[in-house]
Amino acid sequence: MNEFLDMGGYGKYLWPAFALGFGIVVLNLVLALNSLTSAKQEAKRRMEMSQ
Amino acid sequence: MKTRVLKTTALAAARLVAVRDLRLAFRKPSQVIQPLMFFMIVATLFPLTLTPEMSRLRDAAPGVLWIGALLSSLLALEFLFRDDAVDGTLEQFALSGQSLTWMLFAKTCTHWMLTGLPLALSAPIAAAALGVSMGAMAGVVASLALGSFAMSLVGAIGAGLTLGARRGGVLLSLLTLPLAVPILIFGARATQLAINGGDIAPPMYLLGAIAVLGVTLAPLAAAAAVRIGLE
Amino acid sequence: MATWTWFHRLASPPHVYAFARRWTPWFGGFAALAMCAALYGGLVLAPEDYQQKDAFRMVYVHAPTAWLSLMIYTTMAVAAAVGLIWRMKVAHAAAAACAPVGAWFTVAALGTGMLWGKPMWGAYWVWDPRLTAELVLLFLYFGYMGLRAGIEDPAKADKASAVLAVVGVINVPIIKFSVEWWNSLHQTATVMQMGKPKMDFDMLWPLLLMFLAFALYFVAVLLIRLRAELLRRERNASWVREVLA
Repeated sequence: MNEFLDMGGYGKYLWPAFALGFGIVVLNLVLALNSLTSAKQEAKRRMEMSQ
Repeated sequence: MKTRVLKTTALAAARLVAVRDLRLAFRKPSQVIQPLMFFMIVATLFPLTLTPEMSRLRDAAPGVLWIGALLSSLLALEFLFRDDAVDGTLEQFALSGQSLTWMLFAKTCTHWMLTGLPLALSAPIAAAALGVSMGAMAGVVASLALGSFAMSLVGAIGAGLTLGARRGGVLLSLLTLPLAVPILIFGARATQLAINGGDIAPPMYLLGAIAVLGVTLAPLAAAAAVRIGLE
Repeated sequence: MATWTWFHRLASPPHVYAFARRWTPWFGGFAALAMCAALYGGLVLAPEDYQQKDAFRMVYVHAPTAWLSLMIYTTMAVAAAVGLIWRMKVAHAAAAACAPVGAWFTVAALGTGMLWGKPMWGAYWVWDPRLTAELVLLFLYFGYMGLRAGIEDPAKADKASAVLAVVGVINVPIIKFSVEWWNSLHQTATVMQMGKPKMDFDMLWPLLLMFLAFALYFVAVLLIRLRAELLRRERNASWVREVLA
C-alpha cells in the first residue's frame, strides 16, 4: 500500500495533481448545484411576492 | 417637391469617414500626441529598471518596444469609437444605409494612421536610446508599422464590444491583450531579428497573414459589435 | 416540417429545462462510474512508463482537464454563434453556463501541468508551448467573463460576449501556432520534452475512458447550470411557476 502511495518517489507531485484535478471536478458540481438552488429560491420568492 | 437622393458607394462613404476623422484629429491633436508620449516615456523608463548597459538593453529592446507599443495602442483604442458613440455619430453611421463595415474599416485605418504609424516612425528614437544600431531601424519601423496595423484591427473589435460596458478601459485591455498574443510574438521576433541583423521576412510574412485575416474579418466583427452596443 | 420540431424544442426554455432535469442524473452517473474505472485502470492496472516511470500517470488527470478546457471554449463559441445567428435565448444561456466551468478547468490544467512539470523539468513553471497556450486560454476566459459582467443589460451582454467568443475561437488555433513557433525558436536542450509517450493498450484505455468520463461530466454540469440560467432569465414566465410548484 505504501508503495502504491509513494508512486516510485513521484507521489508527492502525483497525488496533489489528482487532488487538484478531481477537487475542481467536485467543486464545479457543487458550484453548479448551488447556483441552481439559489436560482430556484429566487424564483420561488418572486412567485410568493407576486401572489 | 423634388427630393434629391444622394447616391454614394460604400467606398466613397468610407473615404468621407476617413477625411472627417483626419480633419477632427488635426483640430484636436492631443489624442494623437498623448499615446505617442506615453510610448516614449515607457520605453525610456525601462533602462532605469534594468541597466544602463547598452549591450544588455539591446537584448531587451524588442520586448520593451513591443510592450510599449501594445500598451500605447490600447490607450489610443479607447478613443477609437467612444466620442463618436457618445455624440451619436456612430448611430448616424449605422442608420445611414451605407455599409457600417466599410465605414468602421475606414475609421480603423485612419486611427492607425494617426496612432500606430506615428508610433512606428518615432520608434527609432526610443530604439536608439536602447542601444539599437542605425542599420536595424528600417526593420524596427517596418515590424512595428505592420504589427500596430494588425493590432488596430483586432482592437477595433474590443473597442466596439466595450461600448456598452461600464469601466470600458480596463475591460478593453482584458479582452484585447489575449487576442494580440500572436501579433506580439511575430512582431517582437521580427524586431529582434532586425536588431540582430537576421532575415526578418519569415515573421513579417506571418504578421502580414494576420493583418490580411484581420482586414477580412475584423471590420465585420467590429460592425456587429458596434450595432450591439448601439441597440 | 417534422424534421424541424427538434430545433424548435431546443429553442423553447421549458422543453430544455425538462430535458435537462431528466437527463442530468444519467450523464452524471455514467461520468462517475467511468471516472472510477479509469482511475483504477490508470493508477493500478496500467504499467509504468519506461521513461517517466510512475510520473506518467499524471496524464490521467492533466490531459482530460486540458482537453476539457479547450472543448468547453469551443462549445461556448458554438453556442454563442447559434445564439447570434438564430437569436436563440437558450443558446446564449448555454454559452453563459459554459464560461465559469471552462475557466476552472483551465486552472486545473495549469495546476496539474505545473505539478507534472516539477519532477520532469525541475521547475514548476517552464515556458512550455502547451502550458503557455493554456495560460492564454485562461486570459481569454477572463476577458469573456469580464465583458459579460461589465454590461448591465443582459440581452446586450449575451450578444456582445457571443461576438467575443466567436472571435476568440478563431484566434485559438492562431495563438496555438504562434506559441509553438515562438517556443521552437528558443529550444533549450536541457528541457525534457513532455512528448507523447508511446502508449500500449493498458495505458491507453484508461486515458480514453477518462476523456469520455470528463465529457459526460461536463454535459451533466452544463445541464445543471443551464437550468439555473433559464430560471433566472425566465423568472416571469408561466412555465417557471409550473416547474417549481
